[in-house]
Amino acid sequence: MKHGLVMDNIRKWVPFLVLLVLVLFFTAVNPHFLSLRNFARIAVSSSPALMVAVGATFVILMGSIDLSMEGTVAVCAVVFAMLLNRLGGSLAHVGWAAIPGALLAGGVLGAVNGLIHVRLRIPSFMASLSMGFVGVGLSLLMTGGNRILIDDPLFRSLLTVRFMSFPLMAYAALGGLLVAWFIQDRTTIGRNFYAIGGGEELARASGLNVGRVRVIGFILAGIFFALGAILAVARLGIAETETGTGFMFLSITSVVVGGTGLAGGSGGVWNTLVGVLIVNVIGNGMVVVGLPDYLQDGVLGLLVISAVYLSMDRRSLSFAR
Amino acid sequence: MSFIKKYIEQQTINRRNLLLLSAYGLGGLAASASFRPHFARAAVQNPKIAWSYRDRTNPYWNSIVSGGEAFVESLGLPKSDLLNLINGGSSEKSLADIKALLSRYGSGVALAADPNDMPNCRPVVEAVAGAGAYVSTIWNKTDDLHPWDFGDNYVSHMTWSDVGPSEQTARILIEAMGGKGGLVHLGGIASNNPAIERLQGLKNALKSYPNVELLAEQAADWDTQKANQVMSGFLTRYGDAIKGVHCASDTMAYGVIEALRAEGIENMPVVSYDGNPQAVGLVAQGKILATVFTNPYWGGGVTASLAYYAATGVFKPSKEPKEHREFYGPTVLVTTKDASTFKAKYIDSNPKYDWKDFWGLSKGQIQYRS
Repeated sequence: MKHGLVMDNIRKWVPFLVLLVLVLFFTAVNPHFLSLRNFARIAVSSSPALMVAVGATFVILMGSIDLSMEGTVAVCAVVFAMLLNRLGGSLAHVGWAAIPGALLAGGVLGAVNGLIHVRLRIPSFMASLSMGFVGVGLSLLMTGGNRILIDDPLFRSLLTVRFMSFPLMAYAALGGLLVAWFIQDRTTIGRNFYAIGGGEELARASGLNVGRVRVIGFILAGIFFALGAILAVARLGIAETETGTGFMFLSITSVVVGGTGLAGGSGGVWNTLVGVLIVNVIGNGMVVVGLPDYLQDGVLGLLVISAVYLSMDRRSLSFAR
Repeated sequence: MSFIKKYIEQQTINRRNLLLLSAYGLGGLAASASFRPHFARAAVQNPKIAWSYRDRTNPYWNSIVSGGEAFVESLGLPKSDLLNLINGGSSEKSLADIKALLSRYGSGVALAADPNDMPNCRPVVEAVAGAGAYVSTIWNKTDDLHPWDFGDNYVSHMTWSDVGPSEQTARILIEAMGGKGGLVHLGGIASNNPAIERLQGLKNALKSYPNVELLAEQAADWDTQKANQVMSGFLTRYGDAIKGVHCASDTMAYGVIEALRAEGIENMPVVSYDGNPQAVGLVAQGKILATVFTNPYWGGGVTASLAYYAATGVFKPSKEPKEHREFYGPTVLVTTKDASTFKAKYIDSNPKYDWKDFWGLSKGQIQYRS
């Protein structure tokens, strides 16, 4: 069994090695890739995606899946922007209340999502996908298809002000990641996610209220989606229904590429960080090396498949679902 | 377990009732349809005016329909008299709704439509002509389909050519760059006709500026976030070599401007296309140097007007020259000089149009690439 343990240890680091190889490859083709300025650009595009992917990580750890992010991000972005503009348009005054407002909206959507999944016994895949559509519709209803602009210099400083060459939003995302790490490793609820993902029947038999934990997982995910939404608005200064577009593929891919198993019980938020970086390095790198655009989507797909192939321990899966 | 048995029995009865009721309902519909008098095929006094389009959540289509409503109001009718056939991006629904409308009102229909995709235009036009009603279309039509092949019933087709206006924005951009240096182009979805035409416009302009290099062109799918990411990639790849950005739409320009702002670059020349309100505002501030407005409000009004006045016999389409049957819609270049006056005139309010001046803003007969 010693050999198996060694293999396990290597496998743990595979996503990180994939990331390193990608960085070396893109640098070899275009040395401009390896510069602090470019890393800052990758950080800007990764920050909102990281928060959304961290939210999805909690749900995936439980062996469920949450696909509602596009709708939830859209609703939270619109709620945030509307509140901020209604409350004077600046974070400096009462406008800061828009932040908890958006987080609340995310939490409520997550709770609805979780309750539909647990109480109505609808598979999380279907429940969350449908809630995503509801969210997209809701945000359309709120905006009437229009865009809401945010011009508050204090809020936009998340993008425009830099500390040690990186914009503030990168540190905000890092802070969010540390909180998520704390929840995952240091709280009972965090350990319960692993317990359910590792073996739901066993967790139930040990007296765990599985339904309750699941709903809390979805609420947490919703709150992190809202954090992602706020950073997405900070990145573009625009809140609209489109704000959520693309986050589903981006976040689920990042979680899986990072090495968190879709079956649940293995992986965690640090894996997700590596996964988000892999996906964004690929996205940035393909433009930087000048790959023709009709090839980019195809290459992204192939790279994701290879990253998952290398980083997942498929021996433990009797059947890949 | 008797309650389960009872439940199943109840459900069976319910389902049977439902089937019976729906059969009854369908029969009733068919009966009433066969007893309804058929309309005589002659010039119609008060045709029903309908607009068939994607949906209203998009600012562009919202303007189109507002124009259609303004036309209906010009007849002294409430704007609720305009029938909205919303296809939600489905050609099948578009055709089915139009056929339903025709079977209800027969020849008494004046229809304005975007058939959603090019192949769908023919069945729509054939259905309308078959019923003796009148239709004007915009945007989607195959090159082999012409209004003059359908007598009076296919009144007109309007589309927009983007090559010329895109060339104009490119020239403004290059002049702002001082006639030299590198520029990048962010395009729409690769196979999309406007995306192809807008890139062609840029390439035409580049022919007269040998000192300007097109560093790269990349599709960003009309999407703000994608454009933001592509632009930051361009900045890494070309750095200071980029002296200007040519965008195929306003939505992508927003992403470009934010990518530049993140780097502290404030004065890079950028041009865009579409004339959205937000972009016109940015042009007024000088953050975008030029955009192009296609006047969807007028387009929506005049398309309904053409179908209506052909149906009522005010003019006879078959007597009109070809450039009145197939023509380009208006394009208005908006630059930093005139953005404020333009905004007051077209964005903050809508000018009053004479809806009987059908071709006043047209840009000539449609030319086909052979």
